[in-house]
Amino acid sequence: MAIDFSRVFDALPGLVWTAFSDGRADFVNSRWCEYTGLSVDEALGEGWQSAVHPDDRADLVGAWLSFTQAGEPGELEARLRRFDGEHRWFQFRFCPLADEDGTIIRWCGINTDIEDRKRAEEAQRAQEHRARMIIEGLPAIVTLMSPAGELEGGNRRMLEYFGAEVDELRRRGLGHSYHPDDQGAVVARWRRSLETGDPCEFVARSRRSDGEYRWLRTVGVPLRDTEGHLQVWYLLSTDVTDQTWAEALLAGEKRLLQMVAQGSALTEVLEALCGVVESIAPRSLCSILTIDPDSIRFRHGAGPSLPDPYNQVLDGLVMDRYFGPCGMAANLKTQVIASDVATDPRWRDSPWPEMVLGHGLRSCWSTPILSRNDEVIGVFALYQHQPSEPTAAELDIVSQFAHLAGIAIERAEGDAALRRSEARKAAILDSSLDCIISIDHEARITEFNAAAEQIFGYREDQVAGELLAEIIVPPRYREQHRQGFARYLATGESRLIGRHTELTAIRADGTEFPVELAIARLPTDGPPAFTGFLRDISDRKRSEEALDKVRAELSRMARVTSLGALTASIAHEVNQPLSGIITNASTCLKMLAAEPPNVQGAQETARRTVRDGNRAADIIKRLRALFANKEAAGESMDLGEAASEVIALCASDLQRAQVVVRQNFADQLPPITADRVQIQQVIQNLLMNAVDAVGDVEDHPRQISIATGWQDADHLRLSVRDTGAGIDAAAAARLFEAFYTTKSEGMGIGLSVSRSIIENHGGRLWAEPNDGAGATFAFSLPCRSDGDASDAPVSAPPAAADSRLSGVKR
Amino acid sequence: MKKPPLVCVVDDDESVRESLPDLLKEFGFAVEAFSSAEDFLTSEAVSKADCLILDIAMPRMSGPDLQRELRRRGRNTPIVFITAHSEASIRPRTLRQGAVACLFKPFSQSALLDALSAALPAG
Repeated sequence: MAIDFSRVFDALPGLVWTAFSDGRADFVNSRWCEYTGLSVDEALGEGWQSAVHPDDRADLVGAWLSFTQAGEPGELEARLRRFDGEHRWFQFRFCPLADEDGTIIRWCGINTDIEDRKRAEEAQRAQEHRARMIIEGLPAIVTLMSPAGELEGGNRRMLEYFGAEVDELRRRGLGHSYHPDDQGAVVARWRRSLETGDPCEFVARSRRSDGEYRWLRTVGVPLRDTEGHLQVWYLLSTDVTDQTWAEALLAGEKRLLQMVAQGSALTEVLEALCGVVESIAPRSLCSILTIDPDSIRFRHGAGPSLPDPYNQVLDGLVMDRYFGPCGMAANLKTQVIASDVATDPRWRDSPWPEMVLGHGLRSCWSTPILSRNDEVIGVFALYQHQPSEPTAAELDIVSQFAHLAGIAIERAEGDAALRRSEARKAAILDSSLDCIISIDHEARITEFNAAAEQIFGYREDQVAGELLAEIIVPPRYREQHRQGFARYLATGESRLIGRHTELTAIRADGTEFPVELAIARLPTDGPPAFTGFLRDISDRKRSEEALDKVRAELSRMARVTSLGALTASIAHEVNQPLSGIITNASTCLKMLAAEPPNVQGAQETARRTVRDGNRAADIIKRLRALFANKEAAGESMDLGEAASEVIALCASDLQRAQVVVRQNFADQLPPITADRVQIQQVIQNLLMNAVDAVGDVEDHPRQISIATGWQDADHLRLSVRDTGAGIDAAAAARLFEAFYTTKSEGMGIGLSVSRSIIENHGGRLWAEPNDGAGATFAFSLPCRSDGDASDAPVSAPPAAADSRLSGVKR
Repeated sequence: MKKPPLVCVVDDDESVRESLPDLLKEFGFAVEAFSSAEDFLTSEAVSKADCLILDIAMPRMSGPDLQRELRRRGRNTPIVFITAHSEASIRPRTLRQGAVACLFKPFSQSALLDALSAALPAG
């Protein structure tokens, strides 16, 4: 019987074996031996184990022994070595064989080759692994959903984003992660795709594990098997928050700017602005405070989501930098981030933290709103219910919207200012004492106020649209006015705009009067328009002329006596010889240092050095004489001597100008009592003017005569006569008006001041043309002052006019 | 031997015309002095001068006038101005107009030689 069984076993299509109850093999069939290449003897007992792959052996043997101990049938898998050394996977299936008492006497087993199945399984596993890797590696949140819409799984990013495991998420339901505003649309869209099997796409805010809503763009794609059955939905979500922000920002910005441009009320614009910000940064509560014109208190701008009581506290709050972040931001003109109000030490002593915490707010980011001029005109604040630090993107949004708020506030202020200014302008126009006349780009009158009507004698309706020049400009100035206006339009250059100018105007009745005019170009778009402010200055002019005269004389006097001006002149006179001294001395040294020394040359240069030194000393001496006793105004002096000193002082100028000065001083004139310096300055002024006058003379000698003599019984006269181009009678009268600017090298003084000096001394100064070439300037001074010069040898004043210089006429 | 550089002095002050050439000759320059810009302009020195020392304030044509006239004629002879005025603003004004230096009288020998070495090409 046993032999029969053994043949049966050999014939079975598998590797058949039996084992004792303790697991040791007591039989293997011939197919077993053929496969493994082991003999029966080698296989029995524990010998079969050598055919098991070394990596599998320990596990297999361990498991097998535990089955034998338990006495249960079982299955195991392990690789068996074929006779040629190749390992193939086999399934080991075995059952216990028991006797009548239930005692296990044998184990019967069969090993089946499962290599092909195993390979297929491994290939599938590898494929799945690769798919998994791809899903994990995608830079997106991948969610797998069953055809029925059940959550099946997702990649690591997905689990991290939601911060929960699949089971937990399945329980929660993914739909609830979406923002309440977006949930309805997302769920409806997803249901439709589940029904139709069509791919879907949506953008919606989804709450991240940290509670922040992020904009996710989700694409759902159905995966089908070869027969077209829907296997699984792949949902790929990418975070497009930043991109969506940018788009929302742009759209919001556009809408707000439109509102500003349309002149919407400020509150409306600011509330809309808060709405935009809160939709972009969903957990934020936005507040905008403006600042009172007094720059002391905040005013409520907008805070649609903040609790009303809190808004009310902020309205009218003093801008205290220690009260809270908004006060600090406004005062320090810088962004202030209080990321956790509860722990921030900066407002420890302020009631503010308690107040905001009481309203359930934990963080506050305050940003100053700046005007174009960089002045703080408000504060933009974002509150959140939890401690929060702004991200870079949020800071960007804050700065953009603070900027927008600034535009809105400034525009509103501008509008208000404009309204005020319009009202003020109307009031000014009506009540102004000045004439206010506006013209358009053609110089036609567009505005003519009440004062203008009164002063010029026209009604506004008579002159509106008329050319300005033909109404208020005297005929002789009209062409000039027309050219000036045309020049301004062509070149933008104007002699009038932006200045105060005095002009002559004409009334309706033809009378002329002086006006002060200020013209402003109106800052409008389009063709230029101008407003002129005219004031009748007839009265003022009269009193001012008198005042001006005094003032001008005073300032000129101050200049005449200014030592500073004299110093420059002294320096110039002295520097010339000094230069010669130094150069000559340098040359002298060089000559003496030569081999052999050039003694003769050195002597010559030393002589020159001495000469120049004397020249410098001479100048200093004369200057001293000129300034000596400067304090003693009213000293007794000889007119001729004073004139000689002046001529000596001016020697280098005269020499340079190649002018010959003829002195013609009358003998034995009595002294005069006068301020010597002032009189000498007058003489010098007349002399230097004469030098200038003859400067252009080429056809005859450049000659100047200075003469003294009697003017009349009580007055001496000094005259300076030149042979220059002369003066015409009309000019002679004006010579003394204009301030005669001194040449830089001289210390000349204005003729006007000269005249004042002479008149101060009781004399007169005048100019007249000569019979021949040139002109004569002369002054007279009283020579008798209470007889204090009685001891001096004096000549009697002649009765006749023959002592006057020939050619000088009175 | 190399020809010495020709320095022309134009100054209406006689003491300068006397002293400056002597000093410069001691240092190896060839020197010609003129009492006015007009005299200089009508002389042959206009085309030969390597450097000019010009007084600023002279009757009729001033130093800067002469400078402008030379430039008009296409001459870029280096110019050192000298002046007895002590007004400091003169110096930057003349330097802006292209002068090499502007010396205030009285000036030292070394200031003069420095100005000339700046005006004349090296060597």
